[in-house]
Amino acid sequence: MREIEIDANSKEPREINRAIKNAAEEYDKIIIKNPNAMHYMLAGLTKPVEVVIDGSAGYFVGTMIDGAKVHITENAGWFPADNMTDGEVIIDGAAGDGVGQGIYGGTVVVRRNVGSRTGEIMKNGTIIIGGNSGFMSGLFMMGGRIIVLGDISDDAGESIIRGTIYVLGDIKSLGKNAKIEEINDNDKKELKELLPSYGFELEEEKYDEFRKIVPRSKRPFYGKETEEG
Amino acid sequence: MCGIAGVVFKDKKLHPVGEIMTRMLDALQHRGPDSAGFSIYGGLGLAEHEYLLNIEVKEKSGLLEKVKETVNATTKIETEEIIPSVENYNIYRCKIALNSFEELKPLIMDVDKLEDVIVLNGSHSFEMIKDVGSVKEIADRYNTYSKMGTHAIGHTRFSTESIVDRYHAHPFQSYITPDITVVHNGQITNYWKIRDPLERKGHIFETNNDTECIVHYIADKLYEGYKLEEALEQSVKDMDGPFSYIVGTPNGVGIAKDQLGLRPGVLAENDEVFAIASEEVSLRAVMDTHDIDQISPGETRAYTI
Repeated sequence: MREIEIDANSKEPREINRAIKNAAEEYDKIIIKNPNAMHYMLAGLTKPVEVVIDGSAGYFVGTMIDGAKVHITENAGWFPADNMTDGEVIIDGAAGDGVGQGIYGGTVVVRRNVGSRTGEIMKNGTIIIGGNSGFMSGLFMMGGRIIVLGDISDDAGESIIRGTIYVLGDIKSLGKNAKIEEINDNDKKELKELLPSYGFELEEEKYDEFRKIVPRSKRPFYGKETEEG
Repeated sequence: MCGIAGVVFKDKKLHPVGEIMTRMLDALQHRGPDSAGFSIYGGLGLAEHEYLLNIEVKEKSGLLEKVKETVNATTKIETEEIIPSVENYNIYRCKIALNSFEELKPLIMDVDKLEDVIVLNGSHSFEMIKDVGSVKEIADRYNTYSKMGTHAIGHTRFSTESIVDRYHAHPFQSYITPDITVVHNGQITNYWKIRDPLERKGHIFETNNDTECIVHYIADKLYEGYKLEEALEQSVKDMDGPFSYIVGTPNGVGIAKDQLGLRPGVLAENDEVFAIASEEVSLRAVMDTHDIDQISPGETRAYTI
């Protein structure tokens, strides 16, 4: 494996991203040292390269990536993995608002708590939150799945259209067009395959405690429920 | 955008908070290039009834003398200093003594009547530094690196609602009760609904800037007997719009975030320091920590010493 270290200290996001994109042409693994919570790192990276951000990232880390496997060893700011189409973003610490905003595919994992509006307008893909997820998680979600191992705050699944939010902890309140269902055997099987693969080892009985938030209607605003396709 | 930051040293002793806040704000420079400002509390060392005035004076023949005459008509200037700023303006700083805090606002209004002069602030327990330009330029201009204190708040401004000048740089101060300042990132969309009852109570607004509205609101609540935490909590209920703001008082700082959580706020704390800011990068300028808390929508946090 060809590996390179890039020192982000005293550099602008544009310089770092240019260096990362150049390195991705030649190397399999890129390690970014001294990231210092810089914004926009890895924006638009479309190579299936492995990237380790050794520290915290700022806003929009991994926005619009396609295929990269990203590991952030500390925290991330707002909108990590925004609009990602494919790949993996794993955050060992906490993250801010809008985790996985608008993703089309791929997987985002945050091991600790996250802010509000997790997975807003996501179309597909998977978001796993090891801790709690804040206000309006799954806002106008259009597909994919969110798994929250802690609690989910007010207005969960606000205006959700498609997709599923699995919650192990408390659901403080539901948003408009959201309802709670018990999980079935297929859901449990899916979760049992998925969670251990990202290092979340749950006791067998815990899988029975998940509930899922799904949409009441696919056309909550634009027509009548009877007109659903 | 705008960048906001606050820091408190829990041991109540003097620390180089000027230098620390400079680093915190420099880390937030990308959030606002127009102006920056500091309220550095606890290090002025003024005697009871002494105040420090910061007065913006245009370079114009005889104008500074008029300023001094106006101040001296109320009270004798004890010490003075001139700090050159930009665009043909100087900051005239003077130390004065008053019989009571209630004399401070009328004196400021007297000085403000002079053309091309505006009092940026008058304070007893904190030093306000604010100007146009970048954080580093302002830090060099005012030597913020040397300022000691117990706690501080600061701001980098991206102007959206009102003009860019020294007076509209944050922090804003209220004189309803002594030494209350606010830095703010956001907009108060029911501004007039908040301002109107305050004006009816006789509080004076100098600008149409919503940050001035917040500082008077908080100062009024503190004057009415609210604790800082209670004033912050009430503000979240009363104020509409996307906002995140930090209050500085003579004995602490606090943050409030709007109910939809549309502006950022993060917090880190250890045994020595309580720090809040718009972004983690700013907190890292004051402490090496991996544990960053997101301030939740509608949440308030405060630390008093």
